[in-house]
Amino acid sequence: MWEFIARSLEASTIFTLAALGELLGQRSGILNVGIEGIMLFGATFGFIAAQNSDSYAVGFLVAIAIGALLGSLHGFFSITLGVDQVVSGMGIWILGFGLTTFIGNPYTGPLGMDRIPTVFGVSPFFILSVILVAVMWFVLSKTSLGLRIRSVGENPSVAEVSGINVARTRYMCVVVGGMLMGFAGAVYSLDYNPVWNYNFLMGWGFIALALVFFSLWNPWILLGGSLLFGFLWQLSLNPQLFLPGVFSRYIWRTVPFVITLLVLMVMSTKWFRAKWGSAKPEALGEPYVKG
Amino acid sequence: MRIGARELKIEKRPSLSGWHAALISIGALLVALLLFSVLFVLAGVDPLEAYRGIISYAFLNPFGLPLTLNRFIFLLLCTNAFIIPYRAGLWNIGMTGQLYMGALAVFGVLALLGARRNGSVAVSPAILIPILLVVAAAGGAIYAAIAGALKGKYNINEIVVTMIMNFIAFWLVSFMIKEGGPFMGRGGEGESFQLPEALNAPLIAGVPFTLLLALGLALLLNFMFARTTLGFQIKAYGKSPAAARYAGINPVRLPILVFAMGGIMAGLAGYHYFAAVPGVYKITSNYGYYGDLAFYGIICGLIAMGNPIASIPVALLFGGLSIGGRYIQGKLHMSFGVDYALLGVLMITLVGFQYFYNNQIVLKTNRESLNKESLDVGVHSPES
Repeated sequence: MWEFIARSLEASTIFTLAALGELLGQRSGILNVGIEGIMLFGATFGFIAAQNSDSYAVGFLVAIAIGALLGSLHGFFSITLGVDQVVSGMGIWILGFGLTTFIGNPYTGPLGMDRIPTVFGVSPFFILSVILVAVMWFVLSKTSLGLRIRSVGENPSVAEVSGINVARTRYMCVVVGGMLMGFAGAVYSLDYNPVWNYNFLMGWGFIALALVFFSLWNPWILLGGSLLFGFLWQLSLNPQLFLPGVFSRYIWRTVPFVITLLVLMVMSTKWFRAKWGSAKPEALGEPYVKG
Repeated sequence: MRIGARELKIEKRPSLSGWHAALISIGALLVALLLFSVLFVLAGVDPLEAYRGIISYAFLNPFGLPLTLNRFIFLLLCTNAFIIPYRAGLWNIGMTGQLYMGALAVFGVLALLGARRNGSVAVSPAILIPILLVVAAAGGAIYAAIAGALKGKYNINEIVVTMIMNFIAFWLVSFMIKEGGPFMGRGGEGESFQLPEALNAPLIAGVPFTLLLALGLALLLNFMFARTTLGFQIKAYGKSPAAARYAGINPVRLPILVFAMGGIMAGLAGYHYFAAVPGVYKITSNYGYYGDLAFYGIICGLIAMGNPIASIPVALLFGGLSIGGRYIQGKLHMSFGVDYALLGVLMITLVGFQYFYNNQIVLKTNRESLNKESLDVGVHSPES
């Protein structure tokens, strides 16, 4: 039982890190639907780097670097070139999905390194992810940097007039966001499930994307959502622990996805919106042209 | 950038003609293939030899060509499944799930008629094959319509919804065909039961009749966009949902409709691959590969710029590239996934080229600045 909880926390760590990266970008007005692609890149390159160097540190650093690179690619397309953000994000996802399948294939199989030690049975990355949530909350709501980020996400032209460099702020957010997504991928492939297999994520990135919508763009609610989905994901893998014999294991695999849809629906009803309001950044997804 | 009195400039494009669009698409394709050569070089393969191998196997080889044509039919249907909502400004990336649902509907009807138990059905193929087409289309349409309804009624991001529904459908197929599922074949190898032989789709010169169906639907869609009120409404909604509302277009019904129509195409693609391609005739254990292939539909749709006629040559080319890529991967002993990598490189190049849809590079003989310079010489500015 304790092991199950520890695994759930580990799963939720991956959701938290990736979704936190997305949240930061969205707060600055940039939607990135390519989370899963960046995670795949981070996971694959982190895996290859760690295996070749026999060092976890190298693996994680490579994953973070590749995440930053893809974040800046998304920034280049959507901020500098003004390409539709959805198109750019889709491009990054399909690039990640296609290229990592090809590049990672010779590495198919287990990582073959000693497991990363746990802290009282819990992955150290879980603790790190909670700290990062607190940092993100503090930066976004208590610092002038956070105010700048939020203002370019709400109304970039007003922000520009008041002396904020919109493009630079947005770049910073998508690059740091990309780092978090790449890191999340590496936590998957180096710690959570250190085996490389083609397209192994199977929807983690898309659930993380949905989690940002659930969170009302609040890091603490995001953490709550991640904990819930980490638990659900683990449950869908091991239903026999709680409800042995109910449904086929394949049906259980659909459960996190079905619940994602249900939550999205509830959140989009008039009742929910009237009660909680919409915290969506006003300029999300809109390309900004300096006028 | 200045070259003497001429200047290379990037300007906003006032409008985009069909010719320019075609040039941009061809440019994107060439750049992508050039970028992809890097992967060949890294793998120690001569890119020219590789491309020659791809093209000659895909289009000139008696074994490769039928494979290409079958994949073309599949991609054309998937492309149009993407295009219909895309014209309304909506993203259907759920072709994968919709085609699984189409296939499940087909095998569901067959299972009800006892095909799994007896290996045959009592109904005449002339009646049953059209019915199978209809249920495949309905399976895809109903599944896709859910995403359309969630978009229209609750304004839920359709990308998240369609993608999440892909995963739901993926696991449902596993449930149906594996580990004692209702459609599991007798051998229990994680595949569905075999399609009764009498129901194998009729072939025309070795190619399933679905070729004519896919081409006919593309023409029909083109007619719809060019000539009908519905086509106009879809385009109007795509330009501005708010404005479309004032024009009397129902903002809830339209997303449902375009997604359902897209789902019909994807459902038929499911019928095609699992019930019409010679040698398959069942839901195979590696069905996920065909689901992944459906993402080529996004790329084809973007390159064709949402034009159903343009999607015909594009889907043919990509069908050939993916078949040829798979072939040379084996022949040149490359790592698995050449066709996947090509998919990724093509997509990201295409994204970069989107920039040229709104901007153009122009070479200008800059008379204005020449005149200005000569004026500046003559007139003394106050500072001097």
